Amino acid sequence: MERFDIAIIGTGPAGLEAALTAKVRNKSVLLLGSKESSDKVSKAHTIQNYLGLPDVKGDEMAKAFLNHVTSMGIEITEDKVNAVYSMGQYFAIQGHNADYEASSVIVAAGMSAMKPFPGEMENLGRGVSYCATCDAALYKGRTAIILAYSAEDEPEAEFLAERAEKVYYIPQYEYAGSLGGNIEVLTDVKPKSIERTEDKSVLITEGDSVSADGIFILRQQIAPSQLVPGLIMDGNHVQVDRSMATNIKGLFACGDITGTPYQYIKAAGEGNVAALSAVAYLQANKNN
Amino acid sequence: MVKSITTQEFNSMDKTGISVLDFNATWCGPCKMLAPVLEELSEEMAADAKFYSVDTDENPDLAKEYGIMNIPAVVVLKDGQKVDMNVGFVPKEALKDFVSKNL
Repeated sequence: MERFDIAIIGTGPAGLEAALTAKVRNKSVLLLGSKESSDKVSKAHTIQNYLGLPDVKGDEMAKAFLNHVTSMGIEITEDKVNAVYSMGQYFAIQGHNADYEASSVIVAAGMSAMKPFPGEMENLGRGVSYCATCDAALYKGRTAIILAYSAEDEPEAEFLAERAEKVYYIPQYEYAGSLGGNIEVLTDVKPKSIERTEDKSVLITEGDSVSADGIFILRQQIAPSQLVPGLIMDGNHVQVDRSMATNIKGLFACGDITGTPYQYIKAAGEGNVAALSAVAYLQANKNN
Repeated sequence: MVKSITTQEFNSMDKTGISVLDFNATWCGPCKMLAPVLEELSEEMAADAKFYSVDTDENPDLAKEYGIMNIPAVVVLKDGQKVDMNVGFVPKEALKDFVSKNL
């Protein structure tokens, strides 16, 4: 597998600027995200404080950004990253479409509005999990709840149901599937919180509750600490120092994911710093 | 070295000292990523602890005995008694800290 010098996750101003800087420094770059940049850019009304682009509309700004990276010969790989694993000397990146490797990583994935349910983080690994296929073996003869946010989660429910005694499938999207057998689909259920009793996980819903041995939450958006296992957070944001370094060696973060102010020029500036720090990290490693 | 063991082998083996049990499954992505990390750590900490790998699909009783609900899960045993557990992938340094603090 090709091992890139720097993998950049996210194609908003932070990720794009990081890619430009890394390219200028002659590093091989894997830029993962969307060829449309970011919705937060393209759907913005007008931006008045971005240096060099006065009163620019969001879609024009996105176009200007994308033209710039294209003109530098940088390609965007359209993929969604599920996880980044720090393997010591390199990083393994698990995408939706493919797996990748890089010597360093810059996370510029933006901020999601996702909020964990009360009780979710406290019981993570103790009956609350994000990977139903991982834990299927442990559910032989047991019951499980799947809180699903996309039709893509239906095969995961089927896989789990092959082993589990019973699966409660609770779609949080317009369900039109055909799950059956030992899978009970519960529609119009609004989850509120999660509680863990002695040996059961209980999903408290509006006016009711569902109880099983374990709960799987299959969100579309992934919290940064789930995206990069072992990453230290500062509240909802990734903890970084002035060089945009995180607690994981070789992994940097920039843009909205590191905290407020959520400004385009701040994100771009941090992208520049993160890329230079990644370059310095690669150089230091080479000398060792 | 990380040694793969079955429930039977586990029950009959000598558990004196520190043992580190990695509960995993073949189809679990994070488990696959954790395996080489544990392998490296087992070399570095060879003098301090013994490392074992347990396939939860083939050894469900052992997983149940240790209350494993989610994998990968790394359990530290002191003279056969469970003293700590960590669930999910963790980078090597963090895993080393986790095992070291239980020595």
